[in-house]
Amino acid sequence: MSAQNDLRFLVVDDFSTMRRIIKNLLHDLGYANVTEADDGNTALPILKAGGIDFLVTDWNMPGMPGLELLKEVRADPKLAKMPVLMLTAEAKREQIVEAAQAGVSGYVIKPFTAAILKEKIDKILGNRAVTAA
Amino acid sequence: MDGFAAKREAYAVWVEALGDALARGDAHGFSVALAGFDAVHDSEIRQAVRRVAGDLREALEQFREDSHLVDLAGRQVPDARHRLAHVLRLTDDAAHRTLDLVEKACPLADAAAREAARLRGRRRRATDTLDVEVQAFLERTASSMATVRNNLSEVLMAQGYQDLSGQIIRGVMKLVDELEAALGSLVRLSGATLGTERAADGTGAHGPAVPGIAAPTTVQGQQDVDAPLSGLGM
Repeated sequence: MSAQNDLRFLVVDDFSTMRRIIKNLLHDLGYANVTEADDGNTALPILKAGGIDFLVTDWNMPGMPGLELLKEVRADPKLAKMPVLMLTAEAKREQIVEAAQAGVSGYVIKPFTAAILKEKIDKILGNRAVTAA
Repeated sequence: MDGFAAKREAYAVWVEALGDALARGDAHGFSVALAGFDAVHDSEIRQAVRRVAGDLREALEQFREDSHLVDLAGRQVPDARHRLAHVLRLTDDAAHRTLDLVEKACPLADAAAREAARLRGRRRRATDTLDVEVQAFLERTASSMATVRNNLSEVLMAQGYQDLSGQIIRGVMKLVDELEAALGSLVRLSGATLGTERAADGTGAHGPAVPGIAAPTTVQGQQDVDAPLSGLGM
């Protein structure tokens, strides 16, 4: 399937199977440009180097967890406006609130469906387009 | 004599001496009485400490004598961690193998659906029976390939179990690590030594072999099963 656009995604998850699943789903949705990282510590230098448009991250990871990565992104003036989708098994209401307060753009609970992932990405990109207009 | 009576007897003489010394304004007498009072109190504390130390020694001796706990700390708990790590590797390998196959099959299904659609377009005007059958076949192919593609996507999504089960297994492994450290400290405190040798497994069913844990007699593959059986004429 060919890419519908050139948005560059960074997928951060400590399980390589999950990174592969998300990468395949993004590819099916038309996003062929996907980079991977296995936790916040490896993701942050990639983000700071530039060239990433959309961050999809797990929460519970050894090293730097997703919430800390999100806070680092929001604290960096160059990255602060980047869309960040949290894709995680962490399902407590207070965690979702905490992520929202830290500035997450969308939150998907594992296990998830391809339709849910598409819906959340479309919504985030839609809101972003409205904000930018 | 009950506890209070004994205490009264031990302390009364010094309390009385303290009272007398205070009444007389006798500083030396007061110091002597106070030292006597302290000596009785110290002896009481020493007795209590001895009791606690005795109880602790007895508990540690019982722990040392209970070989099951030592075995648990030295062998079974570390084994449990190895088994969990092995399950993690098995599920990871299986999920990646499945993803390999899905990634190879998806483009084939996509290509078959595309090609069927293209040919169906070219053969829209069927002229004979064969053409009608080929037309129907192409329609079925396009439709069934779309179903195959959807099913492959579902297979892909289902591999997410490896992440979820893996997170739970990692949590349990962390718990096992803490349990092992706590048991190890207790065993060292008791003076027992951690045994790492394995007990004979007998012939009961123990489930799949785990590398690093499997008994020395565990076979490595089907050929290891067939060879001795064929030697026995089976």
